[in-house]
Amino acid sequence: MARARLLRAVALSASISLFSGTVESFQKPPDVEAILTHLDDLYRSKSSTSRMEIRVVSRRTTRTLRLKAWSRGEEEVLVVIEEPAREAGTATLRVGDNLWNYLPRIARTIRVPPAMMLGSWMGTDFTNDDLVKESSLHKDFVSRVERRSEDPKGWWLTLEVKPEVVGRWAKIEFLVSDDWLPIEERHFDRKGRLARTMRFDEVKTLGGRRLPARLVLTPTDAEGQSTELRYLEIDFDVPIADDTFSLSRLEQTR
Amino acid sequence: MVAGSTLRIAWRNLWRNRRRTSLAVAAIGLSVALVLAYYSLLRAYADWVLATLTGPMLGHVQVHAPEWRKDRAMDRTIEDVASILDALRRDPEVASATVRVYAPALAALGEEGFAVIVMGVDWEAESRPGRLLAGAPTPRSRGRVLMGRALAEMMGVREGDEIALVGQGADGSLANDLVQVQGLIETPVDFVNRQGIVLEIGEAQTLFAMPDEAHEVVVHARDPDAVELLASKLAGLPNLAGTEVLDWQTLAPEMVSLIEIIEVAGVFALVLIFVAASAGVANTMLMATFERTHEFGMLLALGAAPGCIVRMILAESVALGLTGAALGGTLGLLFVAVTHETGLDFAALTGGGPTELSFAGLSWSMRFYPSLAAGDVGRTILAVLVTSLIASIWPAFRAARLEPARALRD
Repeated sequence: MARARLLRAVALSASISLFSGTVESFQKPPDVEAILTHLDDLYRSKSSTSRMEIRVVSRRTTRTLRLKAWSRGEEEVLVVIEEPAREAGTATLRVGDNLWNYLPRIARTIRVPPAMMLGSWMGTDFTNDDLVKESSLHKDFVSRVERRSEDPKGWWLTLEVKPEVVGRWAKIEFLVSDDWLPIEERHFDRKGRLARTMRFDEVKTLGGRRLPARLVLTPTDAEGQSTELRYLEIDFDVPIADDTFSLSRLEQTR
Repeated sequence: MVAGSTLRIAWRNLWRNRRRTSLAVAAIGLSVALVLAYYSLLRAYADWVLATLTGPMLGHVQVHAPEWRKDRAMDRTIEDVASILDALRRDPEVASATVRVYAPALAALGEEGFAVIVMGVDWEAESRPGRLLAGAPTPRSRGRVLMGRALAEMMGVREGDEIALVGQGADGSLANDLVQVQGLIETPVDFVNRQGIVLEIGEAQTLFAMPDEAHEVVVHARDPDAVELLASKLAGLPNLAGTEVLDWQTLAPEMVSLIEIIEVAGVFALVLIFVAASAGVANTMLMATFERTHEFGMLLALGAAPGCIVRMILAESVALGLTGAALGGTLGLLFVAVTHETGLDFAALTGGGPTELSFAGLSWSMRFYPSLAAGDVGRTILAVLVTSLIASIWPAFRAARLEPARALRD
């Protein structure tokens, strides 16, 4: 009797796994272009204002910055440091491919030269380049669905850089959940080595959208080092004054 | 033991044919002089390589935090540098010790930023002769910097301009300040000229939030030939525990061969001496013994022991060699005495070529300072002595084996 029950249980579980296997194989791979467009727009929309906190963990210390950011379209971003007090008012303005830093202590605005684009942005593990190149995923890369991921459920996308593009990454692996939210992003350099990993979590509703509020960036070759970015608030599609993204405004950010 | 009389007789015999002996002495002398001049140039070259390499930038021994050389990260610093410097300067074999800070930064005269390396240095230590800032004006007040001339030209900066520096502190914080360019510098080190902004060490430590810390300690040794030993000794200092202490050979292995080549060249010179001296001595002694067959026969007939003849001929040969060596030695030392102080200007010697050349990121002046060690002279004279003995063995034994009766008949 007991034996028969056990047999039934085994048969049942086998058929369940068989069944779920069939469902999987029938699940249609998503439209990559649509996903990428969706991801590009996720934190940005037509325009946005946001507050965020960045925690930089290094070998020596842990530093926490609070920032306020404005964005409009894909080309214009302004980020102003609010805390710590010592660095308050320090700002970065991006317009197109140009990046300027405003330093209130010495009251100077300085354009970041191309040679420094891969340098650290404000002492974080983000590079200046990250602020500029953010939008060009579907412009610079050829993307395809690589495979299904079971845990967490989603799809691995592979983005390979177009041969004519001169950039830092040769390949990006992207894990996107079934509801089209980013879970993990792996960046491979020109020599094919994993250079850094970004993990997205703490999904919640911000500015009326469900999105991961936290992003943790871990460089591969720097032990004990990471940068954590957490959105505190976001407002999408709010009106932003035209002169927000200008040098003269940059110098009045304090 | 060669008796005094044997030497006297040998000396007198030597000058029986003045012209032949003079020629042999001149030939030996000239080659000895050339070899010594050659040695002195080799030494000049070695000193030149070592001084250019270790003087301004590398030093003989460097200390870093482990891994700093790999990524030059701002936060890989050496701590308590004041006490480290104290400990190093107490060592009698340390000629000088100084610390540096290297910070990648953005520099701007106007709005355009340029990638630069801000170097924090000890003005006083780095302005000594042969060091990085030798001959440069050293700022006396705060907020003054020196800037590489090529960098200044690229940025359009002139003396007296105020520039902004923006970088990152060792603790990750934002470092920014305005500084005034006191002078433009042209150092022997390429990257300093092209990328360097030089700031006083204390100000650099403040700007980059690293009090009493540095990225590099540079040690110059009193004896540049005993650097390896010094490095391993310094590595044992308790103050330097947990740091990486390396000699310049380990830091710049590709440069070691530039100096090692000298040893090969030195062996070449010795071979030259053997050939020149043995030709001169062997020929002279062969001639001298052949034409004196009759005389040797007479001596043997009168009861002179063959050993006595051998000794006499060997003594003659050694006297010949040493006379040549003395002449050559005098000429060689004279050459060094004349050129040592002022140096030889290779640019002028090669018909007005460039006065400097650029190699391995360093600029190399074309002036060499010949010098000789006692060992060089000693080795050369010994080589002549040995060659003279070897070259005269055959003539000597040939003379000693003569049959008196037949020799007298010739």
